[in-house]
Amino acid sequence: MLTLQRLIAELSAFWEAQGCLIEQPYDMPVGAGTMHPATFLRVLGKEPWRCAYVQPSRRPADGRYGENPFRLCKHLQLQVVLKPSPEDVQDIYLESLKSLGIVPADHDIRFEEDNWESPTLGAWGVGWQVVMDGMEITQFTYFQQAGGIDLSPVTAEITYGLERIAMFLSKAASIYDIQWNETWTYGQVRHAEEVELSKYYFEAANPAFAAALLEGYERESRRALEAGLVIPAYEAALACSHQFNVLDALGAVSATDRVGMIRRVRDLACACARAWVATREEPGRREAEPEPATAV
Amino acid sequence: MSDLLLEIRTEEIPAAALAGARLDLFEKLRAALAEEGLTAREAQAYATPRRLIFIARGLPERQEDRFSEVLGPPASAAYDSEGKPTRAAEGFARAQKVEISDLAVVETPRGATVAARRVVPGRDASEVLSQALQRVVSSLSFPKTMRWGEGSGPFARPLRGLLALFGGRVVPVELFGVAATDSTLGHRVLSDGELSVSGPDDYLEKLRAAHVEPDGEARRIAILEGARRLANEVGGSIESDSDLVPTLADLVEWPGVVRGSFAQEFLDLPEEIATTAMRTHQKYLPVRGRSGLRPHFVAVMDNREDRKGLIAKGNEWVLNARLADARFFFEEDRKERLEARLLQLARLSFQDRLGDYLQKTERLQELAETIAHVVGRPDLVETVVTAARLSKVDLTTRMVREFTDLQGVVGGIYARREGHPDSVWKAVYDQYRPSSSGDDPPREAAGAILSLADRFDTLAGLFHLGLVPSGSKDPYALRRAAFGAVSIAISRNFRLDWRPVVKKALSLYPEGLSARREQDTLEDLGSFFAERLRNLLERRGHPYDEISAVINVGVWDFADAADRAAALSQARREMDFRSLVLAFKRIRNILGEEHPEAPRAELYREDAERALAADFLQARQAIEELAGSRRYSEAMEMIASIAPSLDRFFVEVLVNCPEEELRKNRLALLAAIQKEFSRLADFSEIVVEKEK
Repeated sequence: MLTLQRLIAELSAFWEAQGCLIEQPYDMPVGAGTMHPATFLRVLGKEPWRCAYVQPSRRPADGRYGENPFRLCKHLQLQVVLKPSPEDVQDIYLESLKSLGIVPADHDIRFEEDNWESPTLGAWGVGWQVVMDGMEITQFTYFQQAGGIDLSPVTAEITYGLERIAMFLSKAASIYDIQWNETWTYGQVRHAEEVELSKYYFEAANPAFAAALLEGYERESRRALEAGLVIPAYEAALACSHQFNVLDALGAVSATDRVGMIRRVRDLACACARAWVATREEPGRREAEPEPATAV
Repeated sequence: MSDLLLEIRTEEIPAAALAGARLDLFEKLRAALAEEGLTAREAQAYATPRRLIFIARGLPERQEDRFSEVLGPPASAAYDSEGKPTRAAEGFARAQKVEISDLAVVETPRGATVAARRVVPGRDASEVLSQALQRVVSSLSFPKTMRWGEGSGPFARPLRGLLALFGGRVVPVELFGVAATDSTLGHRVLSDGELSVSGPDDYLEKLRAAHVEPDGEARRIAILEGARRLANEVGGSIESDSDLVPTLADLVEWPGVVRGSFAQEFLDLPEEIATTAMRTHQKYLPVRGRSGLRPHFVAVMDNREDRKGLIAKGNEWVLNARLADARFFFEEDRKERLEARLLQLARLSFQDRLGDYLQKTERLQELAETIAHVVGRPDLVETVVTAARLSKVDLTTRMVREFTDLQGVVGGIYARREGHPDSVWKAVYDQYRPSSSGDDPPREAAGAILSLADRFDTLAGLFHLGLVPSGSKDPYALRRAAFGAVSIAISRNFRLDWRPVVKKALSLYPEGLSARREQDTLEDLGSFFAERLRNLLERRGHPYDEISAVINVGVWDFADAADRAAALSQARREMDFRSLVLAFKRIRNILGEEHPEAPRAELYREDAERALAADFLQARQAIEELAGSRRYSEAMEMIASIAPSLDRFFVEVLVNCPEEELRKNRLALLAAIQKEFSRLADFSEIVVEKEK
């Protein structure tokens, strides 16, 4: 039986064999694997990069008090970035499915147009949802722009929705019925957390506090940039983004405010992106060039 | 004679872009070949999500030799009296690089001229093709393009292979670092290994053996037939006019169909929700029986068979999950009545500077009331105001957040459940109709009024901000909004000048919203509505000149303009309009910029003048009565009836005579005629064959 744990291990092993560095989840609340610096910052500039990691993705407004069988406040993504995008990237992806015991010829696998966009990151890409037997299992994107900067080389980003895939493969009636490992179900591990997070984000969180944090982190981000510290500046921008999501889930963002807030976070992200690119140009700043990734 | 085969192999191109891409390739390549003097016996283009294909059969192996002829000096200057060539001839021959003996004398409008004829030898087709293919492939256009790898592109999707063969040999073409070969790949999942081909027939055969059907039409038919069969087996049928089938055909290379079912209990959900879940999200074809929806669906797969039954099972699982979700939203939404949700609209932005949806709702209530009055239905005021009040509330529901296509429909369904009267919930339900060109307008007058209020509110606000559509950019779908307004007014026969309604709509926005003058906004909107009206009348089969004739005279009463167009169309078919139109064109030319005053009877001299004036007076009275009661066809007949008098007038009377008073008076008579008859249509716009 393919448990969630085994699923993560298999996919990680597969991509490791493809020459991906196995990073760890970012230690801050983020809405998607894309926001991890290992994606957002590494796609910028010319240096090649191959990386894979699991990222818990937190979206306060998606909370359902643990009552909806398909939606979670926090879900797990397996993020893979390949820069530059390999010629046979689609074939490699299909191989990754085979490594999970999926026989493509027994299924209906389609690449259906889905162009991903993140207004807060000033990022967008062109690509597909991979749909297997009617279920979306992966977001497959060629990154065109990040932080408002056109990207060259282009990164292929492959994002697996782990709970979905696990649910689909086991035909579970509810996300909480998935086996996390042989002994524990997903519900046993996370249901209580989902209930509490939902309660917090929809009812108990303090909007004044969230608003103050947002303002504060925005200032900190600018201060850090001025001091030439890109990573801390970007982290502060991520914190802004999360507090915005908190306010949004509370219903505390008015229509006009929303537009303005998104713009502010976007400006921060773009400033960080530009600063990052500038640091790559500084002599002595580049890490040692890695050995070119070799595909197995 | 040889055959040309071109295949551009890519990663999956969006289904919506495929038809356009196929056509683009076909036309551009065919034109490029024709330019080079290479005409094929037959040519086709095909498209699958992963390939764009062009086949031309029976192309010549060489271009024909061409003759170029360059004209030189006149024969008289080129040859002397004895017929010997002069220096002029020698110089010309030298410059054109031909022998003097190769010069010919040809007749031109200038007279006998010397010409140098040269043979331009035809080039090898394969050489020409290389350049032509290169040019065309790099010039293909797509709605959206992207880059990949080290920055290759731009193209629709990453280019992965090129196949180019002419007469069995590879044509040298290269794009984005991919060079043409004689091979391709089959189906991504169902086939393995490269396919080497020798020509179009070999290619098509091998492709199909490798589980790829290049012909979109064949894929569509296979899907339709398969779906029908599966639906029949469970006592139902599918909608054959579904626009899903062409989309599905463009999502797969080797279509098969599979049937699944969903839990009976989901039939308790409103049908619109179940079918939207199936169609919009999952691209399934719903199955309908005689008494309604059946708990079955047909899905298309990129596979001929469902070997292990996994595909049907998978799709069933997904659909049941979606329907369970939909039911969850349905139950959640029921917990709060529509009325109670109103204040939440304050958090939903309509547009950055135009405010939120709560403000829009307030404006809609007032505007709907106004419109109800001006279209002569004060009895509907309460209905439309209630409907307007509820109209946007569904935007706060979970159901609409999930199924955004069902805006309005969900509001109507919920209003119905809450016990609102038919006229109210139907108005909310229909408010976004017509949503596309084939769609019907709202079923009832209240719905029409609400829809118009919404459209005018949006158009007035955005136009006043100057956010008007340009080229292909119409992010607020204003063209659709305006077209719908025109369409509704005409279908309901709401006859009025809509400008006061637009002004009212503008007045409901806060002062100082925009620095633009109301005047300018109205003018821009007028032109915008004119284009939409033109569009609609074109679809009704009116030719360009008729539409211009009618629009030139007035746009703002859409229903009236449509009626006038219909009358004009009929008149044209039934009478000899020609002399009338020519007469009006003549009048327009003669009058130029002059604006004479009213004609005076005592200044008429000729019989023809008096006759025309008399006929005119008679006709004018009749026309005014007829036009007043909208009997436009008869009015047109009346107008046509003075054509003989007009003709006689032009023959017998010199308009621009020396006597200033008489001249002015004659112009005045013509001006009066033009003014009067132009109330219905500008006849001078009608195109007629010129008199020889």
